Amino acid sequence: MPDSFLISDQNWDRILKELLTENELFAPLASDDVLEYQLVGNEQDLSRIVYNHPKPASPLKTFFLPVKENVTRDIGKERPRIILGIPACDLAGLGLLDEIYLQEPLVDPYYRARREHTLLIGTDCHSIQEHCHCTSYGIRPFPQVHADLGLVRLGDRYLLYTGSEKGEQFIRRHRDTGYFSPAGEADLGKAEALREETTRQLQEKNAALPDYEKTGALIRQSEESIWKKYAATCVSCGACAAICPTCTCFLLIDRPGFEKIRNLDACQYPAFERVAAGEDPLADRHVRFRNRYLCKYVWKPSGFGSIACTGCGRCIEACIGKINKNQLFVELSS
Amino acid sequence: MQEFETITRPAHQNIYKPIRATVDHVIRESPTIMTIGMIPEQEFRFRTGEFIEVTIPGVGEAPFTPSSSPLETTRLEVTVMRAGYVTDRIHQLKKGDVIGIRGPFGRGYPLHKMYGKEIVILGGGCGFAPIRSLLYNLMAEKEKFRKVTLCYGSKTPEECIYKPFIQELRGIDKFEVFRSVDKPDETWEEAVGVVTLLLDDLKVDVPNAVAVIVGPPIMMKFGTLKMQEMGFPDSDIYLSMEKNMSCGLGKCGHCMMGKYFVCKDGPVFSYDEIRDQPDIWK
Repeated sequence: MPDSFLISDQNWDRILKELLTENELFAPLASDDVLEYQLVGNEQDLSRIVYNHPKPASPLKTFFLPVKENVTRDIGKERPRIILGIPACDLAGLGLLDEIYLQEPLVDPYYRARREHTLLIGTDCHSIQEHCHCTSYGIRPFPQVHADLGLVRLGDRYLLYTGSEKGEQFIRRHRDTGYFSPAGEADLGKAEALREETTRQLQEKNAALPDYEKTGALIRQSEESIWKKYAATCVSCGACAAICPTCTCFLLIDRPGFEKIRNLDACQYPAFERVAAGEDPLADRHVRFRNRYLCKYVWKPSGFGSIACTGCGRCIEACIGKINKNQLFVELSS
Repeated sequence: MQEFETITRPAHQNIYKPIRATVDHVIRESPTIMTIGMIPEQEFRFRTGEFIEVTIPGVGEAPFTPSSSPLETTRLEVTVMRAGYVTDRIHQLKKGDVIGIRGPFGRGYPLHKMYGKEIVILGGGCGFAPIRSLLYNLMAEKEKFRKVTLCYGSKTPEECIYKPFIQELRGIDKFEVFRSVDKPDETWEEAVGVVTLLLDDLKVDVPNAVAVIVGPPIMMKFGTLKMQEMGFPDSDIYLSMEKNMSCGLGKCGHCMMGKYFVCKDGPVFSYDEIRDQPDIWK
């Protein structure tokens, strides 16, 4: 592990309390309803923060690409943000977003500003959900990329480790508190054992699922019939794309005064590619349905270095037509 | 990907924010096609084949390849066929109206690959728009090319656009123009039939030539097949692709054609680059 430290739960809460004064803090908060990234509005909320948990219901992407945003306004000064408790699948999704939105010289200034003023604190997953399958696509269930800091709860203490220069700055800023002590072999060993256990569970659960590259090859060779079969219950609601950590297609809507609103869009909506003359390559529902997987497993890998499906499984959970893409890929591979 | 020329844009600029342009003149080219001349609020440079996004405030935005000369930096023309919501509003523009433009975007024609060669251009309908910009460029550098042949087709003589420009072109040495229409009237003295028929009578030194095709999808498809038949290698057939586009920046995803974003990787492609991608003729 990179630089690793131990901190007691009381001292960690003290640090968070202090951070609340100057930052907007978001974290998955325990709730009777679904787990979501929520604003930690006050000190009482600190006790509701959930650590070591698999993904919240909605993806991390909307912190950087809101569903709707005026992209012609001046960028004002926003409060710095800290997002805490991010699982590996959401962190890995940022890779593709960065490649698309930070590509020189066509940088999205709103995305860049948000990335720059947000500190990302990842967390290890110590349990798995029904449709989690990150390990099938080469992602381990703990922060490896894009996290400034990683945080694991071990009983009444936290193991904190750095992942970027920003994360190291954070530690330096809080070092004088005397709260941090270097992590010892025993704690690191314990954290590692838990990682191994989660990884083992994921691999066991998804043993039949082909890997990312193989899935691309299978899709390439697939017959139309399987897409018709699985798209039969698709209602083109676009939930799969909305909930996906790497789907970021959008539409610019014009407002009077030369204002433009960037609205997240989805290739699953009818007429996404229709041109004014009437041609629409994605007119058929099963072709639209297949398009999203072609994009993720075949086209994006040929133009981008980052993975376009991080195995979070949200699209399966969100589908009102009960379409399970993993079932589809297992069927394709058998 | 072939390395075409690209323009470096200032990184501090907000990529979504249009600059203002004032409509200077409108020319009715045909019952469905209009040319809008405009004066941007600041100097505006583009390379032939690159495109711009035209904003009608409060209405929408649509992509067009300028039809004017890339050598002009203070004025700009786009030629627009009325086909949908935004183009309908563009057809209502009048002198003095203020619109917005963003760009230039994408990858235009690889002129340096055409130097020393004969250029065979096949155009149909409103596909003449980007071609006219290319022709202005070729006219300005005509000593660098062996010969330029334009084969242009439209449905009727009435829908034949840029009539004064064609006259001008016919008066320039090294330039030849052939036209055809699907449905002639009593005044029509040129060819009748699909535009690809014009290629049958051409004597082209194919190994020393390149082909450029712009037009409706069906015409581009049969034009490409014809050029292949004539012996053009796929890498010497240049196509200007049209797709539904929103951002023009390789981000919004609307124009994806297989692995390509047409707006960023195109709109000009050589056929060998795109022949294996899906739905290229749709």
